This record gives sequence, C-alpha cells and structure tokens, in this order.
Amino acid sequence: MIELNIKKLKKELPLNLMILPGFIFIILFSYVPMAGIIIAFQRFIPAKKLFGDQQWVGFKNFKYVMDLPNFYNILWNTFFIASMKVILGLIVPIVIALLLNEMKHVLLKRGIQTAIYLPHFLSWVVLGGIFIDMLSPTDGLLNTFLNKLGMESIFFLGDNKWFPYTMIITDTWKEFGYGTIIYLAALTGVNPNLYEAAQLDGANRWKQTIHISLPGIQMVVALLMVLSLGNLLNAGFDQIFNMYSPMVYESGDILDTFVYRIGLLDAQFGVATAVGLFKSVIALVLVSSSYYFAYKFADYRIF
Amino acid sequence: MKRKISSKAILLLIMLMLTTGVLSACGSKSSEKETNTPNQTNANSNQSNNNEAVSGDADPFGKYETPLTIRFTRDVDNDMQDNIIPKTPGETVEDNRWLKAFSEKLGINVVYDWTVSVGDAYTQKMNVTLTSGDLPDMLRVTPAQMKQLAEAEMIEDLTPYWEQYASDDLKELYAEQGAAVLNSASVNGKIMGIGKADVYGDGNYLWLRKDWLDKLGLEEPTSMQDVLKISEAFTTQDPDGNNMHDTYGLALTKDLYGGAMGLEGFFAGFHAYPNMWIDDGAGKLVWGSTLPEVKEALKALSDMYKAGQLDKEFGVKDGGKVAESIAAGKIGIDYGAQWNPMYPLISNYQNDPGANWVGYSLVSVDDKPALSPQKFQADSYWVVRKGFSNPEALIKMFNLHVELNWGESGDFDYYYMPAANDSVGVWKYSPVQPASAFKNIRAFQEIEMARKNNSFDKLTGEALAIYRNITSFENGDTSQWGWPKIYGAEGVYKHGVNYMENNLFMYEGFAGPPTETMAERKSTLEALEKETFVKIIMGAISIDDFDTFVENWYKVGGTDITNEVNEWYALTK
Repeated sequence: MIELNIKKLKKELPLNLMILPGFIFIILFSYVPMAGIIIAFQRFIPAKKLFGDQQWVGFKNFKYVMDLPNFYNILWNTFFIASMKVILGLIVPIVIALLLNEMKHVLLKRGIQTAIYLPHFLSWVVLGGIFIDMLSPTDGLLNTFLNKLGMESIFFLGDNKWFPYTMIITDTWKEFGYGTIIYLAALTGVNPNLYEAAQLDGANRWKQTIHISLPGIQMVVALLMVLSLGNLLNAGFDQIFNMYSPMVYESGDILDTFVYRIGLLDAQFGVATAVGLFKSVIALVLVSSSYYFAYKFADYRIF
Repeated sequence: MKRKISSKAILLLIMLMLTTGVLSACGSKSSEKETNTPNQTNANSNQSNNNEAVSGDADPFGKYETPLTIRFTRDVDNDMQDNIIPKTPGETVEDNRWLKAFSEKLGINVVYDWTVSVGDAYTQKMNVTLTSGDLPDMLRVTPAQMKQLAEAEMIEDLTPYWEQYASDDLKELYAEQGAAVLNSASVNGKIMGIGKADVYGDGNYLWLRKDWLDKLGLEEPTSMQDVLKISEAFTTQDPDGNNMHDTYGLALTKDLYGGAMGLEGFFAGFHAYPNMWIDDGAGKLVWGSTLPEVKEALKALSDMYKAGQLDKEFGVKDGGKVAESIAAGKIGIDYGAQWNPMYPLISNYQNDPGANWVGYSLVSVDDKPALSPQKFQADSYWVVRKGFSNPEALIKMFNLHVELNWGESGDFDYYYMPAANDSVGVWKYSPVQPASAFKNIRAFQEIEMARKNNSFDKLTGEALAIYRNITSFENGDTSQWGWPKIYGAEGVYKHGVNYMENNLFMYEGFAGPPTETMAERKSTLEALEKETFVKIIMGAISIDDFDTFVENWYKVGGTDITNEVNEWYALTK
C-alpha cells in the first residue's frame, strides 16, 4: 500500500510542483503580512518601523472605532450593500447561465457570453467617471430618458435613497458575466443522457431546468455561496470610492472607505488595522460556519 | 465514469479560478496594510560625502568639493505636466535648469526616490515611505507626519543649521511670513522642520462676469445683498442669451472650500470664517465652522440652491468638473484667490472671448467690512532624515532658490518665469520653493508706480516679467489674458492693496503642530462638517440641524481639540 503511494507520488510529482508557485504566493502575500496584525494593538508610529519600539495599547484602537458616532451606520451600510451584492451576484448569473444554456445559436451564445464578461475587465476608476456622467440628473443619458417618459430626474449618486441600490446594480452589471461563465461551465458537465431520458418521459424545458440543470450545478452553487459569504463585509472599495461624495456618506460610507480616510490620509495605521482585523475575524466566522452548515445539511465538502 | 471525471475536472478548474481570485484580493489588501520593504542601507548618501565637504565656515552658498547626492521625493502637478514640461524642451523633472544650478553652484546632486501627482497621492505615498523605514534624505511632510517623525527621533534638529546657514535674504523672507511658520515646527524649542514659505496675504476676491452684469444692466456689487441679487439675475435672466435656463449664479464644489470656486469669501460676507481657528474676541480660539454666522451663510446658500442658482450636482463635482462648467460659460460668480484668472477663468475666455471676468473686493452683509480669510498656510514642512551627513544642504538649497529668483545675482527671467518659455513657472522644477509672502502685491505696486510715472524702463525682476506679459496681451497674445486681470490698472490687486493697507484680513489663530486629538479625529470631524453643510445647502436636512452639528462636533472630539488648541494659544501669548 505504502509502496503504491510512493509510486503514485513519483508519478504525480510534476503536478505537485505545479502547485508550488501558488503556495509560495499564498505564504508571501497572505501569511507573511499577517504579522502586521500587531499594529492593531499599538499606537503605531510608521517612522519607528513595524517591529520597532511601538507603544502597546491593548484594545484601545478597537474601542476608539466602536465609539465613533457613525461607526454602526458605516457597518450597516457595508453589510447591506455587500449582502445585496452577494445575493444578486448569485441569482443573476445562475439565471443568465440557464438562459444561455438553452440557446441553440452557438455564435450568438458565445457573443453574448463575451459581451457580458467584458465589463469585468474595466476598472472602477474608468467606470466611475462614465457612470457619473451617465447618471447625472441634469444631462445624463438615463435621466434624459426618464424625462422623456415624463418622469422626474433621479439623482442616483447624490440621493441617499438611491445610492446603495445604484452601487449594487452597477456592481452586479459589472460582475455577472464572470459568474455566468462559471455556471455555464458547470452546466456543460451535466450528463446529456439525463435530458434525453427526461424528454422521453415528457418533461418540458422548464421541468428539465428544475429537475436536471439546477440539481446538476448545485455543488458549484454551494461552493460559490460558501466562498461569497466571506465577502459579507466587502462592499467594494474601488467602486464606492470612485462614486461617493459627502452627500451620500450617510448611506454609502463603508468600512473600506472609512479605513482609507483614517488610515492612508490621516496615517492612523493602528485604527485602520483594527478595523481590517475586525472585518477579517467576522469573515472567518461567516465562512467557517457556512461551510459547516453546507456540510451538515447538504453533505457538501470542499476538501 | 466519464461524466464524473469531467465534472470533477470542471469543479477543480472553478476552484482554481476562485482561489486565485480570492487570494489576489487578500494579497492586495494586506500589502496595503503594511509595506515592509527590506531596509535598504542608505549607504550611497552616507559614503559619498565626508566631513570636509563644507568649504569655508558656514558659508550660506558654500559649494561641496565632493559632489553631494541628496535623495528627495516630489509631486508633480497639472501645471508642470501640461504647461511647464512641454514648454521647456529638453528639460524633465529629473534633469532641468534648477537641478543643474544646484549641482553647479552648490555641488548638490538631487535625485528623486519617487514622483507622484499632487495632493492625497503624495501624502499617501509619503505615509507608505515612512512605514517602510527607507527614508529619503530630505522630505516634505505634513504637520502630522512631522510630529510622528520628531517623536520617533527620525529627523535632525535643524536649529543650528538654520542659524548658521540661512542667508540674510532667506531670514528676511521667513520673518515676513510671521514667526509662526518656524515656531509651529518647533518641538521643545528645537526647529525640527522648515515650514513652507509661500505667497501669503494675497486675499480672497469676488470674481464676476462683468459682461453679464452689463448685459443685464446690473450695478457692481457693494454688499452681500447685491451679490444675492446678481446670482438670481444670472440664473433667471438668461445672461448668455441662448434662451435656455441653463446658467447658475455661484460656483461651488463638493469640497466647499478652496483657492478657486471656494466658499470662504461668500461666508466672509456674513462674517463667518469656517474651516479655520479664529479668536472669539475674548482671547479664546474657536473653530470657525461652529459659529452662528456660518448658519446664516448656509441658510442663504440653501435658499440659492432651492431657487436653482447653484448646480444641483455640486455635491458630486470636484474642482475639475466645476471648472468645466465655468469654461462652458454656465457660471457667473466665483470666489477665490488672485490667481483665478489663470485657472479656471481663462478657459471660459478661450471658449468665449466675450467673457470678461473682473475681480472685486469682498462685500459684506452689513456696514462692517468683510475680512479676507487667511488660513494658516504652512501646511507642509521640510525635514532632514536623522543621520544624514549634511543637513545644512537643505538650508543652502533654500538660500540658492531665493538668491537665483530675487537676489542680486539672480536671473528671474531664467529661473522663475522665463519669457523665452511663454512665462511658465519653471521655478517649480526646484525641489524647494520658498517664496516671499508679499512678493506679488509688491510687484503690483512697482508696476503701479511705473504706470503713474511712466517709468516702465525702470522695472526689474518679477515686476518686469509681469509687465511684459501684460503688454504681450495688449499686443494680441490671448494666452496672457490673466495678467492684466490681476496686475493691470483695473487688476484685482487694486483691492489687495486696500486689504493690506486697512488690514482687512482675518488670520487663522492657530499655527501650531496638530494636537493629539486633532491628529486622531481630524478626518472624522471633517467628514461630519462637510456632510452636514452639503446636506443643509441641498435642503436634505433643515437649517436647524446646524445646531445638532455643533453639538456633535464638540461631542466627537471638538471639545478636546478646542482645549488643546487653547493651551497652545495661551503659551504663545
């Protein structure tokens, strides 16, 4: 048995080597920087360097953040925007993938697939500028259209009622192509024999979708769900930073923009790291528990 | 079997896609948190100069025998990128007339560790550099950064070097800035950094489209009430004559304050001085934004917003975007510094030669004159890395900058604004840029004198260069449109001289290093203030929420800051 394993190991050695760069990457960029967590417990003076003679302050930085009057508002904004993004980010790609999967015209299907994937590669700096112009209440494309229909202009980026939804929808628009490709790939893995058998039994397209396609990709859905739960406090810095303004701090200020302002502009690294650590701990709890539940109720395991 | 393998393979593929995505996300985040580049030795700069480098005892212009290499960092603004570099062929940020002068006259080779764009980007990059521990030899830092560096004993005490090496001209230039510029950088009586010396006391002005005034038959404003009336007329009476309701009264940005398109001058009309520390008359400093006069001004602004006199979207527009509106001829009133004709107003003129912006003195809501707000301007400091062999080199570079521009052996027309290069500000090529507080107003007075006595041939230096620009505008060079607006017979400095002679300035009372709570709470309080003010102007919250803001401001840290600031104030008296 052991002999066999060694033999097997030898055979798979190239494969194992191929994973090595990935490992080094993780260690270098994800584990080594963890040492920086200590900053969260210090009154950190950058000039004294990371392991220099810094003053330890215990949980003072955490307390400081929690005492800020708008912290809970920011936390809520983050949670709301992020969770809506997670939910839409699951539903929209699945629906689009199922629809595309039904499409018989290969060229059109490929074309659509590429077109919806494209925005994923654009940066928010560029898109932010485009959206600010497009959503302008005075001469923006969308509001001109609304006015033609006899509706009032909506200040999408300046109205606290609309801002979070604008963020959620534009983000979903940008990213759903990426998710769609994953689900499309999963759908190609469903055994075509099953569809044939169902057709013989008289199942229509809808029934086939419900009873074959969806169960066929449920593993991938579960996987993506578990992983995306870790993002429940990631509301998307790039996007919001490029589109927000003091007018919508109330509904649009999130943990990351907040950390940016106190961390990089005011150089309060201790506080900024404390918020980052706080976020990571919550993400860890969420991912672990969702993984546990996925295992318990859906008998699903990643490893 | 086949099916199983393929679905597994796909799952694996997906996992790979996802994990790399997730990982790279983690990676970028953690690298933001701490950039701990290996601690390079600063050997190159330490070795190359030995102690005998100084020739002659404490000579302010002494040349180093062995060339001294000094590492700097710097920011490059739009003016440099779009005007200066294109108009000075052959010169770059790293190789230009100023760096040559430093190397030829002082034996100092300037190298830049990095260059970035101005503003937040520079502050941010500097913060990262400080964390890395690999400091350049000479740094321009914010007050907060300087305080941290001084606390960490990372920078040199510059007191002896300042006293021994500063030239008489430089000392005079700093004396004019007011003692605060040097004092604010002193920790325990030691000068740890040299505050920025810049043109100061230029004043804040009211810029108006005179052609619109004339067209609508309006008088020049003499009171705040006039300004409000003009703003209304500019909005409702179609001053641009295109039969469309598409013009606004007043220019303002999401930042509210600023040297152009700022609101400071408007507030001053109501005797409100937000965004600076002012003496309350009883010998105590208060944060101007919290005073009741500000409420009055905000109320006026919110009425203007309601009446459509302000851009509905100002809350998302930065200076660049509002400047576009000005260029497009949509705005008729702009509060800002004397240089506003250079930016952004000239862009309006370039699109529409009829656009005639004229600068007026600030006006007031009652018979008490409005004072021109003068925020303490030393917002950055020059410091020298601890252990650098020749800290005095910084002072020598300051000396040379002043000497070459305004000194006897200087050549203003080559080092400051050479006519040969379309009068762009090549002085920005120098890493250090001390400037005299009243140099502009003085140049204006010299030109005025010449106008009176018809003695233009006696003009020298800066005044001569400016006079040349005015003449070339009169001879048809439209790119010099701004100069007569500022320095002409009807130029805005006419009012500037009046400000100076009658002392119509409101100086900021606090000029110290940032206090402890200030360093901690500044961004929070700023966000609170901006959010509240913008919302009040837009009518999203009622004007009475101003009182809640004041309460909150004090609660969130304002009380502590006010106490700390007043401790400092008591010491300086």
